[in-house]
Amino acid sequence: MPREAEPSLNERAFVVQALQEGLRLDGRAFDQFRGLDLKFGDHYGVADVTLGKTRVLANVSAEVTAPYIDRPFDGIFTITTELSPMASPAFEVNRPTETEVLLSRLLEKTVRRSNALDTESLCLIAGQKCWSIRVDLHVLSHDGNLIDGSCLAVVAALRHFRRPDTSIEGETLTVYTPAEREPVPLSWLHSPFCITFSFYGEEGEIMLLDATLLEEQLRVSSCIISLNKHGEICQIAKLGGTPVEAVSLIQCASAALTKGKELSTLLDQKLAEDSKRRDKGGLLAELSAENER
Amino acid sequence: MTVTTEPEALLSYLQKADGSATFSYAGYTVIGAVNGPIEVQRRDELPEEAAVDVIVRPAAGVGGTRERHLESLIQSTLRQIILVNNFPRTLIQVVLQVTVAPENDYANAKVAQANLNLPILPALLQTAVLSLLSAALPLRATLASTALAILPEHGDRRIISSPTGRQIEQSQSFHVFAFTSHDELILAESEGSFSMKEWDDALAAAQGTCYPPTTTGDTDVLMDDDKLVGSDLKHFTRSTMEQKTASDLYWK
Repeated sequence: MPREAEPSLNERAFVVQALQEGLRLDGRAFDQFRGLDLKFGDHYGVADVTLGKTRVLANVSAEVTAPYIDRPFDGIFTITTELSPMASPAFEVNRPTETEVLLSRLLEKTVRRSNALDTESLCLIAGQKCWSIRVDLHVLSHDGNLIDGSCLAVVAALRHFRRPDTSIEGETLTVYTPAEREPVPLSWLHSPFCITFSFYGEEGEIMLLDATLLEEQLRVSSCIISLNKHGEICQIAKLGGTPVEAVSLIQCASAALTKGKELSTLLDQKLAEDSKRRDKGGLLAELSAENER
Repeated sequence: MTVTTEPEALLSYLQKADGSATFSYAGYTVIGAVNGPIEVQRRDELPEEAAVDVIVRPAAGVGGTRERHLESLIQSTLRQIILVNNFPRTLIQVVLQVTVAPENDYANAKVAQANLNLPILPALLQTAVLSLLSAALPLRATLASTALAILPEHGDRRIISSPTGRQIEQSQSFHVFAFTSHDELILAESEGSFSMKEWDDALAAAQGTCYPPTTTGDTDVLMDDDKLVGSDLKHFTRSTMEQKTASDLYWK
């Protein structure tokens, strides 16, 4: 497999100097995202995020299985990220690269370990049957900032997803098909978003949001902050690289909060638009068998 | 949601791959990307021709034996239409990502399915060809592929092209055919029980869907009849390419 082409020395010097003069190659401000677009598919649980030239597709599916023996009251929730050669020929099938491992690890920490999805609500019969929710993340095109885009796609797809309705009478469990009962949304607790910061300069004094692939290759270090719109931080990862000042990390956290709120508003708005599109004639509320909590 | 019966395609919309296409037909949507000719690993290298590597990825779950089988079918088909001898010791990589598969409202989907998944084959082949065209790889011919089901009906049989999932369940036999643009049969896969006569009928019907006999010899004449574009996959491929070329060269 060919390796990812590294930027040449000239390119490197040019980009870094431009950044020191306060300019980015594409003319964006340092804290500005590229054009962000979020689309939902025709089926429930499909979200397609386009961030500049980066494109990620998340697909959620549900299945009834037996729970893990040590966790009889919890459902199963997995996020699978596999980078295919579609994103870049440098990725090989069945051989995870560092990017892929980092991405799946971060999504795991952000979405799964922060309890964004209430796994206890996925339990059907304790110790015997539970829902297994699976998110498949397909990276279609990789042009930097995969983590922010992927996290948004995963959260959006999970919030958009509807699982088949079920009922239990005595010992019998019935799973209704979409034709019998309108599918129900997952029990969702909060929406975390990842924001990646890239640092440049000798002491990491320049801070960029939403770096492109070229900018990512040239950064001296990076920091990923995951938080929800209430400002609750799920994780901070700064994996090696040049050390940065504590003050700039605090700046990062506050910048992440503003960005997180923006992403949250965007997601809420897109979800509302989509439900409006589906709710033809306002009949969906009548179809639902869900109780008010 | 509604199932589109008209084929739809979008070319070269992934930025990183050499060529790419999305194709939706009969409820399936597949994204294809082609990289090539690129450097090949030593163990896959062929001294006199390009190695063709096909990767099929399902929408949900990781690929299993089903995908490997589809990959081998597509690989042997594509190897025959790509001019592999032009690129010795290189690799042509075709990635096919299924994004939408038809859902059955009357049954709950299972992620792990052990059965064969032939119905998706025409969509995969068509996407692969469009992606190869978009990557501008020299081809011997393009191809068009279609699926047919033979349904029992009042003691008689009926042939349905591009059947729905429910029709496939009820069918006696299911066939997938692919033809090159020179009207040669390049792939024939069948499932179920059928007689030789039925297979011949299915073949004739498939030929009608891919290449209607109205094109009398002269294949360069493009039909103006818009109605035929949807039903006939050869002209669909052709008109998609023509539209793409026209929009790419509008500045000329």
